[in-house]
Amino acid sequence: MSPDQAAVEFKQVSKSFGSSDVLSDVSFQVLQGETLCILGRSGTGKSVTLKLMIGLLKPDEGTVLIGSEDICGMDEKELSRIRREIGFLFQGAALFDSFTVGDNLALPEQRFNPQKSAGEVKKDVEEMLRQVGLEHDIGKLPGELSGGMKKRAGLARALVMNPKLLLIDEPSSGLDRITASEIDDLLLKIKTERHTTMVIVTHDIHGARKIADKVAVLDQGCLVGFGTFDELQSSQNEVVRALTTE
Amino acid sequence: MFTSKAVDVDEVVLMSRRLTFFESVGDVSIFGVRALARAFIPPFELAILLQEVEEIGARSLPLIGAAGVALGIVLTLHTRSTLISFGAEAWGPTLQAVSFFNELGPLVTALLVSGRVGAGIGAELANMRANEQIDAIEVLSVDASKMLVSTRIVACIISLPLLTIFMDFASLLGGFISEYCATRISLQLYVNRAFVNLSWASFIAPTLKTCVFGFIIGTVSCYFGFTIDEGSAGVRRAATNSVVLSSLLVILSDVCLVKIIYFFFPGSAL
Repeated sequence: MSPDQAAVEFKQVSKSFGSSDVLSDVSFQVLQGETLCILGRSGTGKSVTLKLMIGLLKPDEGTVLIGSEDICGMDEKELSRIRREIGFLFQGAALFDSFTVGDNLALPEQRFNPQKSAGEVKKDVEEMLRQVGLEHDIGKLPGELSGGMKKRAGLARALVMNPKLLLIDEPSSGLDRITASEIDDLLLKIKTERHTTMVIVTHDIHGARKIADKVAVLDQGCLVGFGTFDELQSSQNEVVRALTTE
Repeated sequence: MFTSKAVDVDEVVLMSRRLTFFESVGDVSIFGVRALARAFIPPFELAILLQEVEEIGARSLPLIGAAGVALGIVLTLHTRSTLISFGAEAWGPTLQAVSFFNELGPLVTALLVSGRVGAGIGAELANMRANEQIDAIEVLSVDASKMLVSTRIVACIISLPLLTIFMDFASLLGGFISEYCATRISLQLYVNRAFVNLSWASFIAPTLKTCVFGFIIGTVSCYFGFTIDEGSAGVRRAATNSVVLSSLLVILSDVCLVKIIYFFFPGSAL
């Protein structure tokens, strides 16, 4: 796939819940290897945008393309095939409470690489945990981890299958400045070493500046700004300027 | 005119409530049958199933055992004086065994499990939904329904008959303790009297009917846990609804199952 090809594309996507319009006529694309940060006030449809990208929600109107495939009309089996190429870090990490950190990471490997022995899976899990600095916490339950450690474990689980696309919901929410910065550094490392396409929903402009190639700004369900930080700082839209200026 | 209209409105409301109840039962049934069918499609979730059998079955043993012994003692205390007044004191163990093996054991076990396990499953799954753990499973391309629902329903179906047998014998132990304290009866004589009127039909069929109770408890609690998505308030609602509806359906289905058992095993009718 060429770097100029879109990894994700939204074409005139609208989504509402009951009478509340969450997204209206949103169109943008993220190129292969690019990192897009989605900024916006709370309740403007940022997390919904991520969930539409992975098929957890279906748009009311419009098309969501992953690679060149429209995922909107796909059944669970087809979606499952697409999802194997995507990693997702949830806002609260969403680690399985009853599984250890190691088992959380091993789950997708055991399912989709049955040819791998238990020893090989364990080695992969240990290596992934080492990369996020949790190599000594493999046997711990999620309840024993701090917020930052949970985020890192969630990130390791999202990365364990070497996804081509990584979707991240609020990587720094609920974390102190130093821990948030550590997570940002980790994401930057993933970007430079793996060249993974990333879409990150965040409120943290400082972190977004470090990582993002492009920024999308959502306001009241509409895409009001899309481009680089420099381009958006001179935007005519007040919300765009406010959100892209530290 | 006004009264007639009011009655009509009441009837419509009543009808819609009935429809809602039957629709809910229909939704739950379809949910359960689909989940059960998925359990037989590879890959099988054996490790999780065993974990659930341990959680639902083995960890319920102390509750079931204690309740069985206590109920056995209580039933003996209640019936002894009546049996003595009829000169039928020797029938105490028989009454105890027939009561528990035929009806009390299966029903009380199912109600206790619906309280302990039904609330637990409902709350656990609703909590997983609220914390996006179910979404996380789907995002990992894993069939969340099969992993979380099918395994729990099958574990309930496996565990209920085993727990019922445990309850039956625990109640006999309670009955024996009570009888021994009153009459110093020997264990051998108590067991002989207990099983003298108990046929295999009156043991196997009532015990196996608890598989249906297990299906009901597993399905209802998984349904509410899996489908309610209302944060922490949803956790409470899922737990409450799971216990209320599964207990109600267990009792209602028991009426039908007893009739079915009597039809196929007329000898087990008292």
